[in-house]
Amino acid sequence: MGDALVRFGMNRPWLVTGVIVAVSLAFVVLPALPSLWPDAFPRLHPVQVDTDPENMLSREEAVRVFHNRMKQILALHEMVVVGVVNDDHADGVFTVETLANVYELTEFAKTLTGENVGQDDPYAGVKVVDIIAPSTVDNIEQGGEGEVRFEWLMPAPPATRDEALAVRDKALRIPFLEGTMVSEDGKALALYLPISSKDLSYEVYTALRAKIATFQGSEQYHITGLPVANDVFGVEMFKQMAISAPLAMLAIFLLMLFFFRKLILIVSPMIIAMVSVIFTMGLLVVTGNTIHIMSSMIPIFIMPIAVLDSIHILSEFFERYQETRDRRTTMENVMRALFVPMLYTSLTSAAGFASLALTPIPPVQVFGIFVGIGVMIAWVLTVLFIPAFAMLIPERRLQNFGAVHHEDEEKTLSRGFLKWLGELTFHRAKLVLAFAAVLVLVTIYGISQIQINDNPTRWFKKTHPIRVADRVLNEHFGGTYMAYLALFPEGDDPGALPPPPAAQAAETPAAETGAPSLPGGLDAGAVAPELPEGLGALNDEPPSRADSAAPALPAGLGGEPEEVEEPAAAPVPAAPPAEEVFKEPEVLRYIAELQTHLRSTGIVGKSNSLTDIVKTVHRELIDGAPESYRVPDSPAAVAQCLAQYQSSHRPQDLWHMVTPDYRVASVWVQLTSGDNKDMSKVAAALDDYITRNPPPRALKHKWFGLTYINVVWQDKMVWGMAEAFMGSFLVVLFMMILLFRSGLWGLLSMIPLTVTIGLIYGVIGYIGKDYDMPVAVLSSLTLGMAVDFAIHFLARSRTLYARHGSWEKAYPYAFGEPGRAIMRNVIVIAVGFLPLLAAPLVPYITVGFFLASILFASGIGTLLFLPALVRVAEPLLFPKSKVCSITCMCGTCVLTGVTGLLLVAVNVYQFLKVGITTLTWVTLAVLPVLAIGCFLMSRREKCRVQCDEPK
Amino acid sequence: MKRLHRILWGGLLAALMLAPAATVAAQELSADEIVRKAKHMAYYQGKDGNARVKMTITDDQGRKREKELTMLRKNMDDQDQEQRFYVYFHQPADESGTVFMVWKHVGKDDDRWLYLPALGHVKRIAASDERTSFVGSDFFYEDVSGRNPEEDNHELIKTDDTYYVVKSTPKPENKAKVEFDSYTSYIHKATFLPVSMQFEQGGKVYREMKVLSVKDIQGYKTTVKNSVKDLSRGSETILEYTSVKYDIGLPDDVFTERYLRNPPREHLE
Repeated sequence: MGDALVRFGMNRPWLVTGVIVAVSLAFVVLPALPSLWPDAFPRLHPVQVDTDPENMLSREEAVRVFHNRMKQILALHEMVVVGVVNDDHADGVFTVETLANVYELTEFAKTLTGENVGQDDPYAGVKVVDIIAPSTVDNIEQGGEGEVRFEWLMPAPPATRDEALAVRDKALRIPFLEGTMVSEDGKALALYLPISSKDLSYEVYTALRAKIATFQGSEQYHITGLPVANDVFGVEMFKQMAISAPLAMLAIFLLMLFFFRKLILIVSPMIIAMVSVIFTMGLLVVTGNTIHIMSSMIPIFIMPIAVLDSIHILSEFFERYQETRDRRTTMENVMRALFVPMLYTSLTSAAGFASLALTPIPPVQVFGIFVGIGVMIAWVLTVLFIPAFAMLIPERRLQNFGAVHHEDEEKTLSRGFLKWLGELTFHRAKLVLAFAAVLVLVTIYGISQIQINDNPTRWFKKTHPIRVADRVLNEHFGGTYMAYLALFPEGDDPGALPPPPAAQAAETPAAETGAPSLPGGLDAGAVAPELPEGLGALNDEPPSRADSAAPALPAGLGGEPEEVEEPAAAPVPAAPPAEEVFKEPEVLRYIAELQTHLRSTGIVGKSNSLTDIVKTVHRELIDGAPESYRVPDSPAAVAQCLAQYQSSHRPQDLWHMVTPDYRVASVWVQLTSGDNKDMSKVAAALDDYITRNPPPRALKHKWFGLTYINVVWQDKMVWGMAEAFMGSFLVVLFMMILLFRSGLWGLLSMIPLTVTIGLIYGVIGYIGKDYDMPVAVLSSLTLGMAVDFAIHFLARSRTLYARHGSWEKAYPYAFGEPGRAIMRNVIVIAVGFLPLLAAPLVPYITVGFFLASILFASGIGTLLFLPALVRVAEPLLFPKSKVCSITCMCGTCVLTGVTGLLLVAVNVYQFLKVGITTLTWVTLAVLPVLAIGCFLMSRREKCRVQCDEPK
Repeated sequence: MKRLHRILWGGLLAALMLAPAATVAAQELSADEIVRKAKHMAYYQGKDGNARVKMTITDDQGRKREKELTMLRKNMDDQDQEQRFYVYFHQPADESGTVFMVWKHVGKDDDRWLYLPALGHVKRIAASDERTSFVGSDFFYEDVSGRNPEEDNHELIKTDDTYYVVKSTPKPENKAKVEFDSYTSYIHKATFLPVSMQFEQGGKVYREMKVLSVKDIQGYKTTVKNSVKDLSRGSETILEYTSVKYDIGLPDDVFTERYLRNPPREHLE
């Protein structure tokens, strides 16, 4: 079958090339058309970018559903935070000049809605009514004797220094603003701009930056907030893909040129890599998948794997060409030797990645499946196109190709090194293995030091404006990372409630009144309201509601009578309203205790709650004295304070803290760190406190907010990845046993992989690098790469052993061409991806660094530890009996069975989430049955005849 | 010929009789006069009066809250200027007994008092911004007490069969005190009731007041249901006025601090 495929390519090189070109074009055009002209191609899927880490969780995920539901019922939005800092001026940012700029910036931010941010909905964009800025928040303070004053904190930019400082002093008296909008030292201000949708944060960010650039003041501006970080990341990610992927290609190209010297020939692997990427990404988009942070890394993963096989072929072709000087014969020989190893390496890599489909994280599933597909595409392309391409090169251009130049520096060097390496593993095998054992111990310690943590802000380099903003603002304020704590009475389930049906009703009138305002509000005829009920329309016919050129007359003046007026005297006896828990003074005081405790973690810099509002309003309604800053003693007093709080410019503010039925309250928690591990600590501290100090009423608490969502998906990812990795490890082992028809060889081939994973994780533990998303994904790449080397090396070694009769005679050959191909691969791919280290985004740097490390580690694993093991275990590995079917070899049979069993167990566990204990017992019960079965089978008469025959 | 004459004369006569009436209506009333009349209709009818008001606030999620209050009003002159209000809250239960009292002045800040029974405290509220929410609803304090027409410039931009359409823009010195750029009022020609007011900001209507129902009470055309819709918040408040009475002879001393703690029950039902 292999031969046929290869021959097909060699016989019809132009056809193969043509088909590849055509399919590539199709995969470029199909996603491009709907992206460029979305209206013309509504049925095709355009390129969609998704940089929202929230999407690491499925939309149906309970935490996410709760998060969105809470955001809805508390009318909370993600926020863009603009920090204004002046550390040099004695008055900080409270100068006439800076406050004028802040005022102007706020006014500007108010315009970032509707079409100004490219949206049809005029209220999309910045939620103007919820902006927190000096000129948009209320001040409440004492007026004259016995008088309370409600007013804008900064109705207009101050004209004098005193006025400017007064803004600061007033703001610092309001607990809600201090540490949130104004820093304690007066050196910094923060503006909070809620946005209707996270997708708009980049538009808002860019517009704000442009506006800020026009300011002359000495203050600095910093823009941050999680949605900004996510959006900016998405944009940079694309720039990054456009730069680093081609740069990596270039580096690989140059290195191959250095190794093979023949420009025309090495073009083919480049084409394979490129076409594989185009096919895969095209397929991804065409099937309607979004390009997520994860899937944006697909090209970087496919490229090295796609090049890998080509390098094996070229390397071999390079070595053998001069023997026959005939490209067809050489290629046929090369492909015959490499077809099976290449098929297996591709299958194992693909299986390794595809196993990621078992993780519970949708973007990771997509990533795994498509890299898997990409690997198989690369394999098909390699076996079809590389031979075809070789046939397209005129023989004369290959004249001096291949291993003719014995003085070739690279070759002498590598040959010398490989020869030395081979001798080392043969003569000092035990020493090498002892070294390996020490290494294992050291890495186990390293692994124990691994810290699981992630922080989307840290995806930027330290010098990136987002990181700088993050640092500066968290120095001045109580923290810019928002998490919300929802509190509600036990028995209530606010998260599960479906959206109230009335929500639709509320939308309709808005649309209805929005319509007449369309023509710019000047054409009075068009905006005229309907006459109300009761106003006698002068024309005979009452104006219909549809042509709302004029207002409808009200009932009583000749307008349409109102829908039947209910008799006021017959009220339906309603069920007694649910108790308004969050008007209870003791509950409010308990919330204050929780806040105090949160603060004591050192991670929470500030928190705001309903309690803070009640206390502040109470203080000002009484006398403004610090003693009056307390929760009053009756629910009625609380209610009356809050009613006054709402008699402000921002009555809606209250409903961000509590729902109108007073059954769900939220505490806004500001964390100074967006690290998942810090959020986890805060959550644990709170749980602990609540257990020790139960609330006065049976209350439940639940976190939400992006900072918390990140913790949840990361936890899922880490364990999901670990399970997926276990699954793919078993898949690969299973395949290896089948390939080599030997349990021992199967295990052996897993060694480079195991060593590599151990080393990588060990290093991560030692250097204190957080185990985050990119690192987790790299594990699967390791699986693909390291097994690849092991297969090539072991498969060839076995053939060589058979030919030469002993390892002593065979190993020099193993360290010849196969060793050289592995070394070339290590160098080409490791060095080829070093340009990623210059990337401005940390995940790419991580990938670049670890890709190189993985390659070197698996190279060492394959070329150092494998041959040493083969040397030591030679009698076991090369028994003097014939290779026979698996069922005849008791050990291999048991191992195959165990692997298969575990494989099933791991998968069943992932899908059904059966308790690990149940499954463990089942597995343990099946094991002896399996062993006995294998024992009996291997003692069969047929086996004795088949296997005991001398070779 | 005679017949023709008669027709001509008849036509002329009719034209002479009708034309002035039309021109008087269209030409003699200036925008300022229309607005003044509208203000009278909305806030100053009768010598005094009371009304029970049901307030329903519906937010953008369709969640409703209700309040009930009684409003007493007394005109202190016949110039449509000095006026006193006494607002007593019945519902919700925990706000019951809250009283809000206003001595409205024209040309200077109003005097306002607040009594919160649960705090046992009378507090004066410093007059400042009048465009703040009235007890958490979408109505502003100013919507309840009436905006002084002198603060804005008025322009009659259109007259049709039913409405005078007046566009009002704050005078330059008042610009900073309000959040709108302008507002357009649809004033019912026959009654001068302002049926709709649309507030604009940055070229779009973001807030709308509407009269939904009018009744003839003791000969006064009275708004018995109106609403304010805040399009930027997506919320709406409807006020329904039941048992409106005019000229009930409210004594002056009802509008004094003494009555904050001891509500005049006979006027509150």
